[in-house]
Amino acid sequence: MTAARLSLQQSAIIESIGESDISINFLELGILPGKEIKLLKKAPFGGPMAFIIDENIIALRQHEALMIKLKS
Amino acid sequence: METAIFTHIKTIAIIGNPNVGKSSIFNQLTGLNQKIGNYPGVTVDKTVGFVRLGEKSFDLIDLPGTYSLYPKSEDEVIAHRVLNGIGEEKPDFALVILDACNLERSLLLGTQVMDLGIPLAFVVNMKDLAIKKGIEIKAFELYKSLGVPLVLTDARNNEGIDAIRQLMADEKFESPKPLLDSNAYADAALIEEVMGRFGFKNPYQAFQLLVFGEFDKAISQRDKQWLEEKSASYGFDRKKQQLKETEARYVKIAGILKSAVVRKKVESRNITISLDNIFLHPVFGFVIFLAIMLLIFQAIFAWASIPMDWIDVGFAGLSGWIYDNFPAGVLTDLLAEGIVPGIGGVVIFIPQIAMLFGFLAILEGTGYLSRVVFLMDRLMRPFGLHGKSVVPLISGMACAIPGIMAARNISNAKERLITILVTPWMSCSARLPVYIILIGLTVPDTLWMGVGLQAIGLLIMYLLGVLFTLLGALVLKFILKTKEKSYLMTELPIYRLPRWKTVLLTMFSKSKIFVFEAGKIILSISIVLWVLASYGPTGRMDAIENEKIALLENTPEEEWPIIEESYASKKLEASFIGIMGKAIEPAIRPLGYDWKIGIALLTSFAAREVFVGTIATIYSIGGDVENELTIREKLEKEVHPDTGEKVFDKATGFSLMVFYAFAMQCMSTLAVVYRETKSWKWPVLQTVVMTGVAYLAAFITYRIFS
Repeated sequence: MTAARLSLQQSAIIESIGESDISINFLELGILPGKEIKLLKKAPFGGPMAFIIDENIIALRQHEALMIKLKS
Repeated sequence: METAIFTHIKTIAIIGNPNVGKSSIFNQLTGLNQKIGNYPGVTVDKTVGFVRLGEKSFDLIDLPGTYSLYPKSEDEVIAHRVLNGIGEEKPDFALVILDACNLERSLLLGTQVMDLGIPLAFVVNMKDLAIKKGIEIKAFELYKSLGVPLVLTDARNNEGIDAIRQLMADEKFESPKPLLDSNAYADAALIEEVMGRFGFKNPYQAFQLLVFGEFDKAISQRDKQWLEEKSASYGFDRKKQQLKETEARYVKIAGILKSAVVRKKVESRNITISLDNIFLHPVFGFVIFLAIMLLIFQAIFAWASIPMDWIDVGFAGLSGWIYDNFPAGVLTDLLAEGIVPGIGGVVIFIPQIAMLFGFLAILEGTGYLSRVVFLMDRLMRPFGLHGKSVVPLISGMACAIPGIMAARNISNAKERLITILVTPWMSCSARLPVYIILIGLTVPDTLWMGVGLQAIGLLIMYLLGVLFTLLGALVLKFILKTKEKSYLMTELPIYRLPRWKTVLLTMFSKSKIFVFEAGKIILSISIVLWVLASYGPTGRMDAIENEKIALLENTPEEEWPIIEESYASKKLEASFIGIMGKAIEPAIRPLGYDWKIGIALLTSFAAREVFVGTIATIYSIGGDVENELTIREKLEKEVHPDTGEKVFDKATGFSLMVFYAFAMQCMSTLAVVYRETKSWKWPVLQTVVMTGVAYLAAFITYRIFS
């Protein structure tokens, strides 16, 4: 499962970040394997999603959220 | 004994993550002693502040906020360039601002700077918030394990700023042992070779260049090729090693923080999350956003008009004063009719620019601006725009200039360019006087289903602007090619009260940039336009002047104003711009315009609202130009001399409005587009395409209604 499938207020542990040109961007924002991630808000019509990681709120598009693989 | 080391002012680069209070600290240290310049080849502003501490002076370079030194945006390239002294003078020291609540993430950047070998110190900011969150930072532990001097601060409440000053005065910067060994991520021999070729003293600089080289325009093509060949021959995989290096860095940082930071469980209500339940609400979130935008729109549109009127009256008064007090002559004319109104034409935009940027600084300072991006991204994306394009577009409804300047926040180059190119199609306030006159002439003042037909006409013009802005963006989305992928990864920072000092400084510095950078171009074009409108081929103008004087001599004084008006019109006709207006008549004939309107189109290039003034002069309306009713009544009676038909009939009026809706007729906008894209290619292309579309649309409109 990926972070794009989380439901509101649901949290999970990040397993890995999918390989892409922007993998490095995840790391530098502190989105690292082993961290807990929780879905806070979703913008309507498939818009961006706001996650909480380490008490920081980070907004990602669905496309980016799909790259965050979660431990089941 | 005193040693004579006094000539060199030491430079300190300030760097830190976004939202870490970096600008707050920078502003506290430097106050108004700031200079804004350019880095060659990029749009990032170079802000340098000056600090005097006792006998010593320092230049503080404010580097853009970034999470790391990785090559993704111009901001990061600049940070990399400055810290390595590539094309820029290398600073003597670095001051890295860390977030006390996010030490892990801030230290990613902090230790990268450390590994570059530049002597540095850490400022751990927002200690007040950390205390509230139950985070205790053992400063000495941190110093022991990293070897970097550090200061704990709460810059908002001015706590610890003196400690930073003291640290700077004592030059307590150190360059400790690197956190990571670069040789673990690239072949030692490769690192050695890069260090040799570029004269680096530090292996991490070489590693960074291997990762960066491709992205930095400051690196010559030959060097780039050399880097690429070397990487290939050593089997250096840039992306893979970069990820590996970052992960290793995080592991080391986590190890250090385990002993340097103690976390206590603190039960606290999270205000930010409660506020986000309202501000990010799928319905109320948009309602609130709309309300805020309306407020900003109201401010740029209505409130700004008050100081703008003062400026207008003030400069008109100054021109009048010059006429009264200077000897009559060409120089006085140039000063009173060319230069002074030209400067006035620049200064008049300051209230709008200052207000928009004041609001933006407040929205950014409170943390709300990131929420706007979150809400609007989905709506803007199909048009090739970004959530961040909303603010420039909306401000474009008041004035395109501050809007285009605000597009700088968009990090994706393509989305930023599209935003800059389409913003002038939003219906700005300068079009309003033109619409009002023309709608008054062509749309009957009757009710349709309870609503004034003229109001509907105005609404249609605004909607037409919005529609073409979005369509234009959509077309550009397919035309412009980019390797850069669009993504949205943005932190939604905690809500805080805005810093008023930062707000005022932003308003001041944005206005200053506009006046000094775009102002030069605007002033030169207005002078050229003035010369073209005041002078004509020798002989013709003099003949008219002599004729007028002869006539004045033979008429009673009461009738002089009427004669003056009619000769002002004749002179404009005989001037170079009048000749140009006549020359373009064949081209604008198909749109339903005569040469008189042609002249107004040309002078409108100074600013669209000049249309009204020019039309007033050319039809020698005289009297109070501000009074639209006089102009309207006069234009109503205007007929074609050959056919006897009304000049401003429906077809011509509609066609003119459509032309003004689409044509690029604002030199100030062009100057700002040049300044923001650093190239004449885009403003020229913008002029050609916008005016081309305007011509075509006006032609079609004229055909339909005639």
